[in-house]
Amino acid sequence: MTAVIEVDGLTKLYRRSAPGYQLRTLKSALLERSLTAGLKPEDTIQAIEEVNFAVQEGEAFAVIGSNGSGKSTLLKILAGILKPTAGHVRIRGRVAALIELGAGFHPEISGRENVYINGAVLGLPRREVERRFDEIVEFSGLADFIDEPVKNYSSGMYVRLGFSVAIHTDPDILLVDEVLAVGDEAFAHKCVRKIEEFLAKGRTVLLVSHSLGLVEEFADRCLWLDRGRQRLLAEPRRVADAYRQAVAESEGHQHKEAKKQRQEQIESLDSAGEVVSDAVAEDQPVAEEPEEVLRWGSREAEIMSARMLDLLGNERYNFSTGDGVVFEIRARADRALEDFVFGVGLFTFRGVEVWGTNTHLAGMRPKTFSGDATVRLQCPELRLAPGEYLLDVAVHARDGYPYDYHRQILSFSLISSETGVGVYFPRHEWQSEGGVNWGEPVRQ
Amino acid sequence: MFEVTRRLLRYRGLLATLVVRELKARYRGSVLGFFWSLVNPLLMLAVYSFVFTVIFKPRFAGADLDPYPLFLMTGLFPWIWVSTSMLEGSQSLMANAGLIRKAVFPAEILPMIAVFANLVHFLLALPILAAGLAVGRYLGHPVAGWWSGALPVVVVLEFFAVGGITLALAALNVHFKDIRDILINVLSLLLYLTPILYPLQQLPRAGRWAVHWLNPFAPFATAFQEVVFHGDPLRLGLVAHMVGWAIVLWALGSWLFHRLSDNLVEAV
Repeated sequence: MTAVIEVDGLTKLYRRSAPGYQLRTLKSALLERSLTAGLKPEDTIQAIEEVNFAVQEGEAFAVIGSNGSGKSTLLKILAGILKPTAGHVRIRGRVAALIELGAGFHPEISGRENVYINGAVLGLPRREVERRFDEIVEFSGLADFIDEPVKNYSSGMYVRLGFSVAIHTDPDILLVDEVLAVGDEAFAHKCVRKIEEFLAKGRTVLLVSHSLGLVEEFADRCLWLDRGRQRLLAEPRRVADAYRQAVAESEGHQHKEAKKQRQEQIESLDSAGEVVSDAVAEDQPVAEEPEEVLRWGSREAEIMSARMLDLLGNERYNFSTGDGVVFEIRARADRALEDFVFGVGLFTFRGVEVWGTNTHLAGMRPKTFSGDATVRLQCPELRLAPGEYLLDVAVHARDGYPYDYHRQILSFSLISSETGVGVYFPRHEWQSEGGVNWGEPVRQ
Repeated sequence: MFEVTRRLLRYRGLLATLVVRELKARYRGSVLGFFWSLVNPLLMLAVYSFVFTVIFKPRFAGADLDPYPLFLMTGLFPWIWVSTSMLEGSQSLMANAGLIRKAVFPAEILPMIAVFANLVHFLLALPILAAGLAVGRYLGHPVAGWWSGALPVVVVLEFFAVGGITLALAALNVHFKDIRDILINVLSLLLYLTPILYPLQQLPRAGRWAVHWLNPFAPFATAFQEVVFHGDPLRLGLVAHMVGWAIVLWALGSWLFHRLSDNLVEAV
């Protein structure tokens, strides 16, 4: 295996834009060929700092990170759009970057002409575009609109044509930025299939994404960028889990900070006496915004941890639709309890309750609970639509009195080779009789 | 200098496609299309002709400028090409910021699109000039001649001069948005400081020297007047003068562009 992308000590500085810098940056651009060489460190922003990695031929490499972590900058440097401030990038092979699909489309002229121009922008000679033209149009599904000016296209159509041209330029290395998020579901899936085909041919893909599910499904390795620094480079499962953990922790931290602040505000009000506290309370309303509380309860019983397992007992957080799943809750009751219910709830990231159940609903009569305990809920087949889900777990009394409610204790993702809408994904099959006939299945 | 030239040659296919796109986009959606690109030069021509033949009735001592509208057309058409190219070209990087920020794109193409597209307009207006000169000759004026056929030489040399300046302006405009305003004023000044409305000989001695040697567009304008309008032979000295400006300006412009090209994407 040979490395097709080598990144060595890569650093990228941006200048802070401020008035009066024009002359200085022009001077440094002219003399030192860098916009930032003449600037003091406080006038620059470090977008990427000392990043090192190599991508092997045929590998699917993912980059994740929160907004502003330098992912797009990295991609643009790899694509050759931006120049590194320090360090080296070596690339072997032809690169196509799907950064902004349809960049360079001209609104006034037809889709057909724009295909040629976009192809030329991406480095494909005219006769090559001609040869692949039908393929490009067919893949985009825009055959009926190809002679319309693209200003009449919807944004989805724009993206479809852009992706179609880009993927047909036959690159060795494909750089993909978030673009798959645009366009409709069906086309997004078509893109994913196309990229899989591309990988199957032994080509290389570097993917920047927010979708951990997609990253886990696709990538062989994953790089986590955190404020421009390389946080972790490992197999995607591990990186995605660590990333989720960090996001959850930072949310929890914010939650704690907010709570502490409220506490301090209340305390300062208390110590300052009644009259002052009234004035302060009027000036600064204490409850600015209702914080989403993620955990509450008396803690007479406490949830120690929750995790997910497959049917073989391996801890996992990504499954295929229809896989067997086990939810495991570890809990402890310091004092013996006689009234207790264990419950779980599944939610989408948007907060839609997908399914919830508890031991009480299952008709289980509590007897005693003391010390450490592990409770498992086994689903031989979790038939939910592909996507990301959140899990709530709880221990409470039968009348609902909370011992420990823990919201969003973990997240997991489901993938599937099929698509559908909604959250439920039953086993299904179409049948028909009478005057309906079907052609060859549509290749997706 | 060679880097930018090399890249322009390498991406000539893309450049050609984009010039065609530019022209098509300009005429798409307008009924009279190409006609409009002739209206402005002809309007300018009519106005200047009226002002200088009817109102001022200039007496150009020792120079036969009849018919004056033809003389004016010979200088004005190339000047419109030159000035519009520089104005549009200087804004081309900013106008296409989305393209160079989001796609791997040879930025040097953008200013050159303006130069080429306006060159096409100029070339398409040439039949009018040719017809005018033919009519002038038919009416007995001593205009044009075999040497008028040397026009392409002047155009090619001026192309490099204008191309170089436009590259430099485009790259500088990324850092100084003021370029546009400066340019608009300089261009309207240059219309009078270049031998377009008058022949060089009409200037007082000191002014003549300054315009001839310091204004890079002067030798080209003089060449159009001498060769195309009068049909005089192309003087070797004048050719050397034009070649000099063409080389210097192209070299300077493409060097500056290349020098600034590493950071264009961030600066736009």
